[in-house]
Amino acid sequence: MTAVIEARGLAKAYGATRALDGASFSVEAGRIVGLIGPNGAGKTTALKAILGLTPFRGELTVLGLDPRTQRDSLMREVCFMADVAVLPRWLRVSQALDFVGGVHVRFDRARAADFLRRTDIRMESRVRELSKGMVTQLHLALILAIDARLLVLDEPTLGLDLLYRRRFYDTLLNDYFDKERTILLTTHQVEEVENLFTDVIFINHGRIALSSSVEELGGRYQQLNVAAEAAPRARALKPFYEREVFGRVAMLFEGRSAAELRGFGELRTPSIADLFVAKMQGTPST
Amino acid sequence: MNSHLADAAAGEGPREAAPAARIGTAGTLLMLVRRELWEHRALWIAPLVVAALMVCGAVVAGLKYHLTHGDMSGDDRPGGMAMFAVMQGAASTPLSVVSLIVVAFYLLDCLYAERKDRSILFWKSLPVSDDKTVLSKLLVALLVVPLGVFALGLLLSLLFTGIWEVNAAFGRVPPIPGWDMLGWLKAEIALLACLIVGVLWYAPYAAYLLLVSAWARRTPFLWATLPPVIAQIVEHFTFDTHYVRDLLVYRTYGIWPTLFGHMQVGRGRAFALGAALDRLNLGAALTDLNLWLGLAVAAAMVFGAIRLRRYRDDT
Repeated sequence: MTAVIEARGLAKAYGATRALDGASFSVEAGRIVGLIGPNGAGKTTALKAILGLTPFRGELTVLGLDPRTQRDSLMREVCFMADVAVLPRWLRVSQALDFVGGVHVRFDRARAADFLRRTDIRMESRVRELSKGMVTQLHLALILAIDARLLVLDEPTLGLDLLYRRRFYDTLLNDYFDKERTILLTTHQVEEVENLFTDVIFINHGRIALSSSVEELGGRYQQLNVAAEAAPRARALKPFYEREVFGRVAMLFEGRSAAELRGFGELRTPSIADLFVAKMQGTPST
Repeated sequence: MNSHLADAAAGEGPREAAPAARIGTAGTLLMLVRRELWEHRALWIAPLVVAALMVCGAVVAGLKYHLTHGDMSGDDRPGGMAMFAVMQGAASTPLSVVSLIVVAFYLLDCLYAERKDRSILFWKSLPVSDDKTVLSKLLVALLVVPLGVFALGLLLSLLFTGIWEVNAAFGRVPPIPGWDMLGWLKAEIALLACLIVGVLWYAPYAAYLLLVSAWARRTPFLWATLPPVIAQIVEHFTFDTHYVRDLLVYRTYGIWPTLFGHMQVGRGRAFALGAALDRLNLGAALTDLNLWLGLAVAAAMVFGAIRLRRYRDDT
């Protein structure tokens, strides 16, 4: 397998706060990876390190390049979208297309214009006249038209309504993603996009808490929903997380086979959101 | 392991075409300069407005005032058409003053605003290096705007000449003595030489403003203006000297006496400047050690601004 990103022992401190504390992970080509973590877990710092936007310690190669010293070559292959507010407000839509076309060899202007025609965005509008959702659409139009190998998205749909969010991810999946492209995405709205991911990386306190493909998750983690009276017996199998819902107990197990657990109650694969909460909180003291 | 990916990518249609096209440094810089003019429209609107006002003023003045007794001839007339260059110089003065102010604020703002509104994250998502970006801003301040002002001044002097000729035709002002192409060209070149020396001499100021713009977390204007002021005050009260003030005064006026030699500009005859243009000491100005020291300092400050933009992380 080809690693697009290979990180070993990434460390970065802002004053006394350790944003990254020895994080190691790798991202393979042709995957859609969710980098998920609570606020201040180090997500954005990790992305900034990958994009060569911040100094850090540790080993990191992105597309075979070192983002610290080879950023200029790297950015020909990498596309990046921070949260919605970063397109300059004075910029006209037509100027945005002119500019990206003027500096990026891999930009297909016709493609961006074609995408914009299907929206309400007019070429002569300035960014400041567009709604938040439209600004994101404009940025997406620019990105779709750039033939990049790695796309990094940091909370791209922050503050957008459901319709825009849904359309954003649909477009990304249908019009952009293919087996040679890699997408690395952070988001708060895990529930909404968990079907999108092929891989997830959980990050907490600057360390990697979990890194796995979604297929593997099903084999590794089991969620068991048991009636309250059966819970003590199931607890003997040592769930790493449990939560009571409407008189039933949802337990999460790691490394248990389905055969071991089936007898206790209803068995299913935990959602990424549930797994995330469990991994971040550990067993709540009840 | 990377060539693996490249091989796979090359197999697909649109990706084959892409690497063939290239955008050269000049192309990128041109695009970056256009971008600056899109964002900072005051850079070209302000001089144009001033020019328009001056043309209006000249038209009105031509209609209102008569100058029939003025004498355009005389023994101290400058060589040939240098007086048009003088007129151009006069026309360019308000343009230059306005442009200087606009450019100073532009330099202070250009690397600060993109951090403040976080649009730097967008610019940095594109394959444009920090050196090219910072260089494009310097190019705008030291080349594009000065040349634009020069061209506009030239256009204005021609317009003024036209207005004068029309008024002369109506007998409101004395006619202009004959047109001397060679003298006029020489005077234009002399003016351009003054412009080049001025740009080189003031480059450290431009670089300083760029550096402050890249460095300041807030209020770049205060960060740019307060340190020189405070340094002068502190120096005055602790050592009772004024080296800082002398340096600033020298960096502001120092090259002009060298360029104009011992001629007394602005005194005596009306056409003294015209005569001065004939006898610029360009060699002395361009070999002035302090000019080059200033340029070296400017280069160091620009380098600092580039490094700051490259490695600073405060978004």
